[in-house]
Parts: sequence; C-alpha cells; structure tokens
Amino acid sequence: MWDFLAQGFAVALTPLNLGLAFLGALIGTLFGALPGIGPINGIAILMPLAYTMGLPAESSLILLAAIYTGSEYGGRMSSILLNVPGDAGAVFTTLDGNPLAKQGLAGPALGLSAVSSFIGATLAILGITLFAPLLARVAVMFGPAEFFALMVFAFASMSAMMGKDPLKTAIGAVLGVLVATIGVDSGTGVLRFTFGIPELYDGIDFIVLIIGLFAISEILLMLEHSHTSDDGGAMAPLGRVMVRLKEVLFCKWAILRSGLIGFVIGVLPGTGASVAGAVAYTTEKRLSDQKGTFGKGDMRGLSAPESANNAAAVGAFVPMLTLGIPGSGTTAVMLGALMLYNITPGPTMFTEHTAVAGGLIASLYLGNLMLLLLNLPLAGLFARVLTIPRWLLVPAIAILAFVGVFQLHSNLYAIFLMLIVGVMGYLLRKLGFSLAPIILGYVLGGLMEQNLRRALAISGGDSGILWQSGISIGLWIAAAMLIVLPWLLPWLWRKRNAASCSLSK
Amino acid sequence: MNIAADRILGIVLLGLAAFVAAQAMQLHVPFSYDPLGPKAFPLGLSVLLAVFSLVLLFRPGTNGDWPRGVLVLKLLGVLLTLLVYALVFTSLGYLPATALVVLVLSRLFGAPWAKAAISGVLVALGSYLLFTQAMGILLPASDWLTALT
Repeated sequence: MWDFLAQGFAVALTPLNLGLAFLGALIGTLFGALPGIGPINGIAILMPLAYTMGLPAESSLILLAAIYTGSEYGGRMSSILLNVPGDAGAVFTTLDGNPLAKQGLAGPALGLSAVSSFIGATLAILGITLFAPLLARVAVMFGPAEFFALMVFAFASMSAMMGKDPLKTAIGAVLGVLVATIGVDSGTGVLRFTFGIPELYDGIDFIVLIIGLFAISEILLMLEHSHTSDDGGAMAPLGRVMVRLKEVLFCKWAILRSGLIGFVIGVLPGTGASVAGAVAYTTEKRLSDQKGTFGKGDMRGLSAPESANNAAAVGAFVPMLTLGIPGSGTTAVMLGALMLYNITPGPTMFTEHTAVAGGLIASLYLGNLMLLLLNLPLAGLFARVLTIPRWLLVPAIAILAFVGVFQLHSNLYAIFLMLIVGVMGYLLRKLGFSLAPIILGYVLGGLMEQNLRRALAISGGDSGILWQSGISIGLWIAAAMLIVLPWLLPWLWRKRNAASCSLSK
Repeated sequence: MNIAADRILGIVLLGLAAFVAAQAMQLHVPFSYDPLGPKAFPLGLSVLLAVFSLVLLFRPGTNGDWPRGVLVLKLLGVLLTLLVYALVFTSLGYLPATALVVLVLSRLFGAPWAKAAISGVLVALGSYLLFTQAMGILLPASDWLTALT
C-alpha cells in the first residue's frame, strides 16, 4: 500500500525534480517574504510560467508544491520583522513574533519560526504518507451522490471557518461556482451564459481567472498602499542569527501539539492555514499561558501558529490528492494546474498517477528539509527582500504575470478579460471578500454539478439517491452541523448563562 | 457617500441573481437523457445568491476606505498600461515594450524619472534573459528595429 513512496522518491530524486524542488523552495521563500504577497498570490503569479515551461505534470507539481511550502516559510519575514502579515494565516504569527523582534530577538524569532515550520510540516507529511492512501481506498467507494454530498460539506466547512465574514465567504463561493457554469454545458452541449461571444464557449479560462483575480488585484491594492503610506516601515535589527536549542526545547510541546492541530484542520476540506494558526494559537494560549506572556513576545506563541500553518498547508494536500477536493485556496489553484495536464485528482490518483502523487509526497519531504537548511542560515539575506522598494518590485511582478498569460493566450481578448477580472477581484477585496472561496467555488463548482446530474441520471431523476448511503447521510449531517452550530452555540451559551444568573439570584 | 458599500453590493448581486435566473430559464434542451438538465443548477445558485444578497442588504458590514481623486486615476493608469502592453507586445517586440511598461508602472508607483528609466531597462533585460535562457520561452523580437538599420 505504501509502494508509491518508493516510486515517489525515485521520481523526486531525479536531478531535474531535485533542482526544481530547490528552485521552488528558493523562489517560494523570496516571494513569500515580499510584504503583502501570501502563498496563494505567489502560486497564482508563478503557475502560468511553470505551465509554459513545458515541464511534465509531476515536475510542474513538485515545483509548485515547493513554491507553496516555501512561501509559507517566507511569509513570516514580513510578519515578524514588519508586523505586516502576508496573508490571513500569518496574522497570528505577528502577535508574538513582532514583539520578539522589537526586543532585539528578530534573528532567533526567524530561526525558531523556521524550526517550528519544519517540525509542523514534517508531522503533516508523515500524516499524508500514512492517511492519504487509506483515505483513497475509502474514496473509491464514493459514487456521484457521495461526491455531491462531500462538496456540499466542503462548502459548508468553508463558510463556517474561512475568512472573517461567513456571509461573504458564502457569496464568494457562489460567485465562483457561477463563473464555472459559463460555457458549453458538458451534459447537453447547450451554451450557458456566453451571450454569443465565441471566446466564452470554453468558459472562463483558469489561468486568466487566477492571474486576474490574484495578480492584477494585488497590483492595484499595492498601488493603493504605496499611495497612502510610505513603504518599508522600520525594520527591526536581526540580532543574533541562530536560535538556541534550549529555546526550541522550551517550545517543543507547543510545536508538536500545534502541528497535529494544524494537520487535522488542513485535512478538512475548505479550511486552510488561516484557521489552523488561529486555533493553534488560542489553544496554546489557554494551555500554557500561565504568566500572561502571550502577545508580549512569548516564543511558544510564535512557534504554535508557525507549526500549525505549515502543517495545515501540507495537510490540505490530503483531500486534494485523494478526493479531488482542495483543502485550501492554494491547493485549489494547484488542482486547477493539474487539470491543465488532464489529470483530475481523485481516488485513483495513487493507482493511476502514482508518479505524480508519490513524487509530490516525496518531494515534500525533500523540499521541507531544503527549506530548513536554506532558512536557518540565510534568514538575514531573505530579510533583505523586504527592503526592495515597491516601484521596483511591482512592475517586475506585473511582467511575470503578464508574460505567463500571454504565452498561453496571445490574444487581446484574454488580456482584456484578465483586466476585467482583476478589477472585480480588487473591488471584492475592498469589500472584505477573501479570494480563496471564489477560486474554490470555481474549481469545485463544475465537479459539483457534474456529480449531481450524474447521480440523478443513475436514479432516473429520483432525488432520494442523494441521501441513500451511510457516507452521504453522514456528510449531509456534518454539513448541516457546520452551518447551524456557529449560530446555535452562542445562543445556547447565552441561554445557559441567563439561567445560571437567575439561579444565583 | 453615506450608503454602505455592502448595500450597493447587495443590490448588484440581487440583480445578478435575477439575471442569471432569467438567462437560465431561456435555456432550452430539445431532448436529453439527463433528468436535471442545464437549467436547474444555475437556477439553484441564483436562489442562493438572492437569499445571501438580501441578508447583505439588511445587515451590511462597515463601509471600507474607497479610493478617490488622484488614486483612481493611478489605478486606471495601471490597467490602461497593461492593456497597451498587450497591444504593442508583438508589434514593438518584447524588450522595448517591456522597458516602456516598466518605466510607466515605476512612475505610477512613485519612482523618480531616472530610477524608473533605469529599472525599465534592467527589468526588461533581466526578464528577457530569464525567460529566453532559463525558461526556454520564445518572446516576440523587435523586427522593426532591424528593418530600420
């Protein structure tokens, strides 16, 4: 059952793939370190280029995965040194990371963050190796009805846990699904929402969508920041560069606990690193903050979200590889990338595309080690990236994004569409939407409709098939609970408190 | 502007939901083995969207900071620059087109002329080498330059 790992290492250890993993780790760390650019933006900007390079599917995935995990490492630079989180997942890193930097411990904080990230990610990679093939075996039993229920569950868990505003998360997901319905309907050949524009017959292209949504909107937002504020706040000096073993050991339980929490949360479809960081930090604070040092530069408060972030980022690969359901916005982008290679991840991934699945997992082991070795001694060097002025950085990013799209679609229409999507993305972000639900909706929407229709075709139109098997009933109940509980729990609490108050009188 | 942005969004989304529903109703399939057909899914989505946007209308969030004045012009400038880049990408050739675009973008991001010009040339050359040498991507050449000489 675990033969895939041997084959995976054979794939990952070829010079090309080893080089790509290293390159990805390096680029990812650099990109992640750029203030404001989180992992998902980094992947979105670099994915078209990886695709145009004409790499085989597994190499391309290895490169993207290394960039992904690398940017999770790099994202901490701006959180710790500048108090500017690169993405939602890094918010909790700033809470204790930045106070540490202000105490002159920026160097050890970066080192500790790298070690915590490494341990968290390693735990999660072990978790993938153990559980992904098992889950794939279960997933083989899934029919269209079960898949439909699973996607309803994924959307439910996403709106319950992702983003700060559940309503906007839900709206974003619906919008994403709607975008996915544009084009020829695969079931009947009917044109939907194309308005007689031939370029829309194939639907909105994935690369055009992500570059517009992420890269263009990011450029517009950065312009706004550079207009309203001076760039580059005061950067704390690094201090001593290495973290001491004693400091790591002090945090060992925080790191291990948070790694496990992060992995479990990462595996849940639709909830990514941002939730994991929050849960791990609050758990650790409750468990070990006896002296009230959390938030004032407690090393455990830094290592907990760091370990959890990276564990969740890696854990998100589990549902993506075994069920074809991405666990986070970033894995949604990677799922889309795989689909460009005509590989639809799912239960058969480990049997039919062993090289891709195994290669990816093996490369995660290698890439994670490379990241630790890169990040411990070179933190100071990477931190220099923070001092690059925006006027130099943004045009370079714009060129990267633009050439990526233009290589694939050298027509004005695609560029025009990309800019329109970019403006939409900018407006939505200004309105407080996060983009991950939109991209998840886009990637899952088509599959969701297909599975629903396939299920009903099997049953001849009887909707009873949707809740016939134990698996689908369980998923429907879980989905319902995810939607109801966040509303019900506070209400129950209040009721109980009110009752106890009246009793004490 | 006192109307919360979320209210406007709610109205827009409600309109979108109605539009999607109207469009979906017009889809006509003569014959199909598919009991659900292409209509139902978009219709369901439009109902969901309508419900969500009604909630948004009645419970809008806080109004964010919206760009105004020079910033709006700058934002439009970035979009226009990228559009022009697409227009001249093939005809002008990669190097001159990129140098010009980087120059304009750097200026928009507040770089002084001299720095913007230098970064234009350097980013164009650097990215050209990266794309052609390291990544094996073919870029449009500047044929008109060779035709001049």
